[in-house]
Amino acid sequence: MSTKRKVLLGIGAYLGLIVVLFLILGDEGKNEAFQPQNEFELTPWIAINIGGLDLSINKAVFYLFLASGLTIGTMVFIARRMQQEPNRVQTAVELAYDLTRNNITQGNITDQRLAKRWFPFLAGLFFFLWFSNMIGFLPLPINTEHKVDVFGVEIPSLAFYAATANLSIPLVLTLIVWVSYHVEGIRAKGFFPYLASWLPPGLEDMNIFGKAFFFVIESISHFARLISLSVRLFANILAGHLLLLFMGGGLAVLLGIAALGIATFPLAFVFFILEVGLIATLQAFIFSTLTAIYLSGAVAAEH
Amino acid sequence: MDLLIPLAQAAQGVTDTGVTDAGKAIALGVGAGLGSIGAGIGIGIIFGKEIESVARQPEMKDELQQIRWLGFALTEAVAFYTFIFGLIAFFL
Repeated sequence: MSTKRKVLLGIGAYLGLIVVLFLILGDEGKNEAFQPQNEFELTPWIAINIGGLDLSINKAVFYLFLASGLTIGTMVFIARRMQQEPNRVQTAVELAYDLTRNNITQGNITDQRLAKRWFPFLAGLFFFLWFSNMIGFLPLPINTEHKVDVFGVEIPSLAFYAATANLSIPLVLTLIVWVSYHVEGIRAKGFFPYLASWLPPGLEDMNIFGKAFFFVIESISHFARLISLSVRLFANILAGHLLLLFMGGGLAVLLGIAALGIATFPLAFVFFILEVGLIATLQAFIFSTLTAIYLSGAVAAEH
Repeated sequence: MDLLIPLAQAAQGVTDTGVTDAGKAIALGVGAGLGSIGAGIGIGIIFGKEIESVARQPEMKDELQQIRWLGFALTEAVAFYTFIFGLIAFFL
């Protein structure tokens, strides 16, 4: 048998299995009790309400504290026991440190003093987002809706969630970045010269109305950064989690076609590798790189 | 199949909410789908150009790598913007 025929036979058998399962099972996959979309619902664990403000502890808060704890813990742990001959973990952390220092910070900020001042913030942002994205792909016992009985102790079942898959956390980080690059620009140039530096170069001879028109456009682009920076991170992680959810069985449950599950389940593995291997790191990298670019753009002498 | 039922009901003029639901589903599907076309073309151009540049100047490979990922992530995000606005149209 040639290779081509073997491959065709394999695909045929796989498709045949789906058709047979569909004929046997039909609509039996329908399951109203299990709602896969509840993955993104934030049920309060410890309800805290202060003056109408909902400050409840829920799984997003848990993931936030976990990511910060991991970031601080790993870095302090590695820094405490630095060795002359680095072991594997130290080498990996040193590589990541190198990436944040040389590529993200100094690659985008040419002013050495500015780079030195903002390096801790940029590196902290990178590591926090990286840990926050990565633990989003670890199944943790956070699903309080469905409990599992383990030796008489009721523990929540395993589920996925990521703090960055909730718009509020990227938005707060973006606001910090947005305010700090404006403050840095005003500190470097003064208030009105900083606003004037938004105008693209080559407009010096233009009359006041033309300049005002360009100023409005540039202001809109500065406010659009608020949306683009936060939604980029949020939507990437949310879409990744939605893909994993739907491919890993959610689609079959929602539509009530059990046979669909066997077609989508292998795809879940492919997307999992893509998300963990590329998207989680890339989004953390992009967020901190863009922060560095905005910072150096605000301080740069001209565009 | 659940998604198709409101569509069928709407065709028979049974309910008004059916039409709205169908419109929302179409908004999500068409919006996210069309958005992905643009982002797909953009990502193709970025990687194509990068291959071209590396073929011309192989010594630039390391520098181009970082720019490539930056461009990739910026372009890919465009597809997700349409997806998010589709989801907003779907749920609101």
